[in-house]
Amino acid sequence: MSSDDELLAVGDKALARLQRGDAEVVIVDDTSELTRFAGNEIHQSVAEQSRYVRVRLIDDGRIGVGEVRGFGEDAVERALQAAEESRRVTTSPDVPPLPAPDHRPGGPVAFAATTASATPEQRAGLVSIVTGAARAHDINAYGALSTGTRTTAIATTAGVRRAATSTQASLVSVARGDDGGGYASRHSADIDALDVEGLAAEVVDTCERNQRATAIDPGEYEVVLSPYAVTDLLEHLGWVGFSALATQEHRSFMRMDEKLMSELITIRDDATALDVFPFPFDAEGVSTQALHLIDRGVCAGVVYDTPTALRDGVTSTGHSLPQPNTWGPLPRHLVMDAGTTPWKDMVSSVRRGLYITRFWYVRDVHPLRTVITGMTREGTFLIENGRITRPVKDLRFTQSIVDALADVAEVSRERRLELGEGESGVLAPWLHINRFNFSS
Amino acid sequence: MRQVSERALDAASAAGASYADCRVVNRTVQRLTVKNGVVAAVELSEDEGVGIRVIVDGAWGFASVDRLDGASVETAARHAVQIARASSRVNRVAVRLAPAPPLVGVYATPITRDPFSVSLDDKVNLLLRTDEAMSHLPQVRIRECSLEFVREERHFASSEGARLDQTIIESGGGLDATATSDDEVQTRSFPNSFGRHQVCAGWEAVEAFDLPGNAGRIAEEAVALLSAPICPAGVMTVILDATQAALQVHESCGHPTELDRALGHEAAYAGTSFLTPDLLGTFRYGSEHVTMTADSTRAPGLGTFGWDDEGVAAQRSVLVDQGLFTGYLSSRETAAAIGQVSNGTMRADGWSRLPIIRMTNVNLEPGTSSLEEMIATTERGVYLETNRSWSIDDRRLNFQFGTQNGWEIVNGERTRLVRNPIYSGQTPEFWRSCDAVAGPEEWQMLGVVNCGKGQPSQSMHVGHGAAPCRFRNVKVEPAR
Repeated sequence: MSSDDELLAVGDKALARLQRGDAEVVIVDDTSELTRFAGNEIHQSVAEQSRYVRVRLIDDGRIGVGEVRGFGEDAVERALQAAEESRRVTTSPDVPPLPAPDHRPGGPVAFAATTASATPEQRAGLVSIVTGAARAHDINAYGALSTGTRTTAIATTAGVRRAATSTQASLVSVARGDDGGGYASRHSADIDALDVEGLAAEVVDTCERNQRATAIDPGEYEVVLSPYAVTDLLEHLGWVGFSALATQEHRSFMRMDEKLMSELITIRDDATALDVFPFPFDAEGVSTQALHLIDRGVCAGVVYDTPTALRDGVTSTGHSLPQPNTWGPLPRHLVMDAGTTPWKDMVSSVRRGLYITRFWYVRDVHPLRTVITGMTREGTFLIENGRITRPVKDLRFTQSIVDALADVAEVSRERRLELGEGESGVLAPWLHINRFNFSS
Repeated sequence: MRQVSERALDAASAAGASYADCRVVNRTVQRLTVKNGVVAAVELSEDEGVGIRVIVDGAWGFASVDRLDGASVETAARHAVQIARASSRVNRVAVRLAPAPPLVGVYATPITRDPFSVSLDDKVNLLLRTDEAMSHLPQVRIRECSLEFVREERHFASSEGARLDQTIIESGGGLDATATSDDEVQTRSFPNSFGRHQVCAGWEAVEAFDLPGNAGRIAEEAVALLSAPICPAGVMTVILDATQAALQVHESCGHPTELDRALGHEAAYAGTSFLTPDLLGTFRYGSEHVTMTADSTRAPGLGTFGWDDEGVAAQRSVLVDQGLFTGYLSSRETAAAIGQVSNGTMRADGWSRLPIIRMTNVNLEPGTSSLEEMIATTERGVYLETNRSWSIDDRRLNFQFGTQNGWEIVNGERTRLVRNPIYSGQTPEFWRSCDAVAGPEEWQMLGVVNCGKGQPSQSMHVGHGAAPCRFRNVKVEPAR
């Protein structure tokens, strides 16, 4: 791995070769390792090391992009050439300029030296804690423990020079018995902070309680959703509605200053939060700002990149993906504010409903109405008279997220960090929702 | 590439590997996007590196690196051995591979015109003409069209003696027209949804799509959907167009016949399969009209190649034979677990990822009917075109799909356009209710360009041949 300064020097060198126009050079060094297990055995264990160079050229009203993944000495040169070739054929009348250096303070970065130096032997040892717990209960554990270190550097002719090195450690596990399974995950910047024993106990406990599930009729149920399930709801809201481009293109559910959800619901994007893999800047080198998206049920804001900010006459919030793109900005550090109810007390106020451990294969059915569908998986339990009484077979739900969040009875005071399907961190509480529609 | 692989294999063997293979991959990609009349992006990317897979003391290890100098490659090989050795200390069962002959050869995608020889100007012009053809309807607020071309040079070498070189070329393109009103958003796509249709072929494939010639019609359909009545609800006959049939095959036959899923290797992420090995050869998967194959020799599907990523030759396997479940997609390791040999479906997303079982071209074989005949012999139902949403459980049984277009069928006539249709069911019941598949003249090689699987995640391009097909007694409803 190269240091932040070494990568910035590569960017500076590339900019120095520029004959004319403006340019942005992004260099990303990645080292990632992952140990995967199935049936209490490690069946895949991998390591990957790579460098990614991306050059964006802007000149004469045209943008060109060249990308090279590879460490060769000429990688930067090849990326520059590709960008120039690309720039030659584009015609864009409204090319947004490169952002100026952002003097707003950037937040912290998630980094732990212990994660950066983790070894295959260490990962195998941690995995064996989970597989050992499963073996002791005569069940099988499956999952993956990953560690990664990433250095990102951005240098532009507009004077932006940003670099940061981050780490991430994630342990995800499913345990399966003869007829049912459980799920648990833990994520941290620091591999030593992963609560592996806690995960092992949780996944084994859920698995053992989720054996010999029986079917129940689909329909409308009161539910308690664990943070694993709430993560899916928040991530899909982010994809379909929290982007300024989605509002500009009239495809977002967001109606500014209108109350669409329960006043118990506050959703923010906070890249400065220490427990959501903080990172100080976006793909344009703009400092990522914390902002309210939903404030006590009211639509409060959307995230911006430079092109969408220019269109609305505001300042970018620092949520850009690599430019140019047709996706628009994205929130990647979603946080739902905690409530006041201990999560273990939530079940006690449910007369008849379902406890959902996690959702699976969640997809947008009608993005404007935030209707999604998906399945429950590895831990769906019937709640009767304030107690979890038995496991039930997995159900398909089809539900508007906004409607569900408008009908929230309680928000837990505890929260968990989970990685969404898009692999961004989401900090979510347990939610008690009065009505949730299960379609089959 | 050969020098790199020889050095990697030597280093792995010297470090203690009982088996090693090495893939050196160089990938070049061109992506061009026009959005609302503006060339939004022309991205040219290159990607090169080496992945080394080893077995040490009965356990797998894999390491990859993007530096092809001798020292870096040897370091990666030794790291793969270190990883395998660490795993072997906690494992109780040793890896066993089914035999496979070590092959030597060269393969290249058959093409008429190399897409990389076509100028970027010509490609941009094609997209601008396509965009212009969608631009006359003010309700169409978002117009987007794109092209993608991929060239991948792959070299595979194994410690058993395999030496294989392949050049794979892909060409793809597509368009989306999104129309909006105060309370509705509707998108129509062509030739397939989710951005594009892609095949292993040259520029000639993109010309055959005729994006500019279809763009106006697709834009009109998007606008028409804004005010179309919502899809009727009920249990009725469903006819799928070839594109939706292809995705139905992908989700409900392709994935559940992956043997690694059936053996539990993917239980933590992608899931398992209802098609467990004890059902092989006896389970009634579908009706007698349903025959499905995995065929990596079937050009121009995206799963067409000379050899898979562990050196097994491309081949055709029958997965479902006239409704009977008869085969899996397998690897050398998983095939050995059920007493078979690999049928060559190990594929990796580039040099940096471990090969895992992936679909090749998983096809619904053509029948003898036709779309016209199916509609004419349907009393009440819907004809559904182009996927909009898709979801299926982790065993691949309970599915729900939505499509962009629906056409109500009444008394053998296609009557009115309906919007927001979704249909759902259970995989075996659904395929058992199939009573007609259109013939070869309506059969198309389609594909999926974003099939996700594995940890770390891998995205794969896979092919699906399909034709319009009909199903009885399906639950249909509108997305509300």
